[in-house]
Amino acid sequence: MDLGLEGKNVIVTGGSLGIGSAIAVEFAREGCNVAINYRRHDTEAKKVVEEIEKLGRKGLAVKADVASHDDAENMVQTVVREFGRLDIMVCNAGINWDGVIWKMTEEQWDTVINVNLKGYFNYNKAAALVFKDQKGGKIVNISSINGMRGKFAQTNYAASKGGEIALSKSLAKELGKFNVNVNVVAPGMVMTEMANAIPPEFLTKAMDETAVGRFATPEECADVVVFLCSDRARHITGEVIKVDGGQYM
Amino acid sequence: MFKWFGKVNYTPYTKVTDFAQYLKDGRLMGTRCKKCQATSFPPRADCEACMSDEFEFIEMSGKAQLHTFTKIVAAPTGFEDVAPYIVGVVDLNEGGRALAWFGETIDEDEIEIGMDLQIVPQIFEDLEDIKVYYSLEKPGTTWAKTDSS
Amino acid sequence: MTRVGIIGIGHGVFGRRSDATVQELAFEAFRQAIEDAGIEPKEIDASVIGSVPEYHKQRSLAGVIQEYLGLFPKPTWLTEVACASGSAALRTAWMAVKAGVHDIVLVMGCQKMTELSTPEILALMGRVGEVQWESGFGTTFPAYYAMFAKRHMHEFGTTREHLLDVAVKNHYYGARNPNALFRKEITIEKAKASEDVATPFQVYDCCANADGAACVIVANEEKAKALSEQPVWLDGMACATASMSVLRRPHLVGLPSAEEAGKAAYKMAGIRPGDVKVADVHDCFTIAEIMAYEDLGFCEKGEGGPFVADRQTYVGGEVAVNVDGGLKAKGHPIGATGLSMTYEIAKQLRGEAGERQVPDADVGLTHNVGGIGQYCFVQVMKRD
Repeated sequence: MDLGLEGKNVIVTGGSLGIGSAIAVEFAREGCNVAINYRRHDTEAKKVVEEIEKLGRKGLAVKADVASHDDAENMVQTVVREFGRLDIMVCNAGINWDGVIWKMTEEQWDTVINVNLKGYFNYNKAAALVFKDQKGGKIVNISSINGMRGKFAQTNYAASKGGEIALSKSLAKELGKFNVNVNVVAPGMVMTEMANAIPPEFLTKAMDETAVGRFATPEECADVVVFLCSDRARHITGEVIKVDGGQYM
Repeated sequence: MFKWFGKVNYTPYTKVTDFAQYLKDGRLMGTRCKKCQATSFPPRADCEACMSDEFEFIEMSGKAQLHTFTKIVAAPTGFEDVAPYIVGVVDLNEGGRALAWFGETIDEDEIEIGMDLQIVPQIFEDLEDIKVYYSLEKPGTTWAKTDSS
Repeated sequence: MTRVGIIGIGHGVFGRRSDATVQELAFEAFRQAIEDAGIEPKEIDASVIGSVPEYHKQRSLAGVIQEYLGLFPKPTWLTEVACASGSAALRTAWMAVKAGVHDIVLVMGCQKMTELSTPEILALMGRVGEVQWESGFGTTFPAYYAMFAKRHMHEFGTTREHLLDVAVKNHYYGARNPNALFRKEITIEKAKASEDVATPFQVYDCCANADGAACVIVANEEKAKALSEQPVWLDGMACATASMSVLRRPHLVGLPSAEEAGKAAYKMAGIRPGDVKVADVHDCFTIAEIMAYEDLGFCEKGEGGPFVADRQTYVGGEVAVNVDGGLKAKGHPIGATGLSMTYEIAKQLRGEAGERQVPDADVGLTHNVGGIGQYCFVQVMKRD
């Protein structure tokens, strides 16, 4: 299925690892030029850029802290300058720092909220400024089923992920008249490095929750993201699509 | 949806309803009679020259000259929050006239009758409802166009 | 066909009339007109009411006026063409008499504008123009005339002072008219100190809403001669129209409807503009009077400003214009205004205008505009 994404220019935050890198590469496969940001993983970011370039597309890695409002604006401007235009913004960068609330420090709360929720605000806003004036664009925000259902020991993470959904729906209302679609992909458990850090008994419990008896691959999340950014999904906005094998129903 | 046109809209239903959709997409449209080719701006569905009711939309360049203007201080209902504002009547290069607000690219003291202007499609960005209009801007002002329908 | 003559006239006091309903206002003018004509109400064959319905809570006003004046079961109907509704009423009465349908017809212009709250007035003000393409930009009644003024100033060099000369003149005469809303003279300095409305207009460039009524009784030639010592004849009765939208007008420095109606009225009456000794024109805004001089041929196009500056429209000038104070000083109860003009010119032709009397006034004219020139009624009136 040709998604008609050839020549589009994309930003994927947190594109050096996990779901983000899979999304970045998938866009390159669809014919897009892709810029990713990274904070610490210079080597991984370089590898993703190489892979994008191997596919014959322009790749760009920008060192930027997603929690920084200024970094977001600078990155969008850099991409517009380097690629000539921005068509798609995918916010994916996120962290978790779990703990039950009575043991959660203020720092633990603030850090997760700042990176996850404020980070999405920063990049959504920077993209909105561009998309509004060009009367077109796509935004996909990667949330989590835990933002929809809540999760033990994740008050901070779940709040940030739920906040991202509310942000996305509000922004869909603000940008609809400018021909901009804003959607959310909410994965369940995905086989990434983030998941590798989870104790085996929790993974088993999560596996049991799914209807299909396995976890998603990062590529399966990426497939939905590129679809949502295509003209095939032009009438979908303000929507949350779970990619969780039936884990949360 | 013609109800999108104007800060306050008094005529939500019209045969030229697509005008507002085009304007939202950054396109300023006039009409042309399919039978006798007479063109009109503002648009009209029925040709007063040959009586035909078959028309098509044609995109206008929006290039125009200022015919007259005024700064409205005492505003009617629905416009108190934007008063005072300056409205101008312009003669379009392609024929017809338009009445519109002066936009941000022109300072009040630059305004003079006869000056060249560009009509630019606009969206009220800060309103929840979809509302569109056009403004009078400096010649050479550019804007994005799209095809949403 | 029969000539049509005015046999009775009446005029109430214009102003903020919180003491009276619209039918009570109408009765004030009616009583005077009946006394003036020296007839009994039952001699009236029909009545025509000129009024603009959206200002009144009472719907279908003609019926309630007919009831309060005690004219049942004679026919009545309402005419509406915005601020020219009064003249439209007179024109249809004139047609009815001309056609021989009725012999004596009462024509009542009445309006109560101050019943509406300020928000209601402001909402109406926003719909004065063409609502599909213009009102969405917040245009107002003053704004349209202000744009005419700007263009007139640009093309002809008309000045801010020329505009205010009109206001000063009309307030000068308004101060001498007991029926006027504003009975004080003003100066250009005072006018220039008033608040901006729509540039170049300030408060003193604009007429004011008011409550009021004016009334005339017309009759066919035979009855007019029998009933009146000095009937005033309606010899040129013309009406013309122009587009609602300023976007479809041939020019914005005059009213095409007034140009057309003026020519037609002169032709019908067999006179030339120079024959008119006294006129009441529709000075809803200062520029409107200057454009009226030009549209009616009292002066050349573009010369209206200097014409008033030279005092040519004062008593003693080439043609006395609005020497009752005009809309500017009398106030503008929109349904009544046209008949207020007719009343004033009839007074002048009968030589009853007191200190405002124009010497040897034998031919007079009224010019009553609806909206921003969508309709214009021009009447040439003569005495024998």
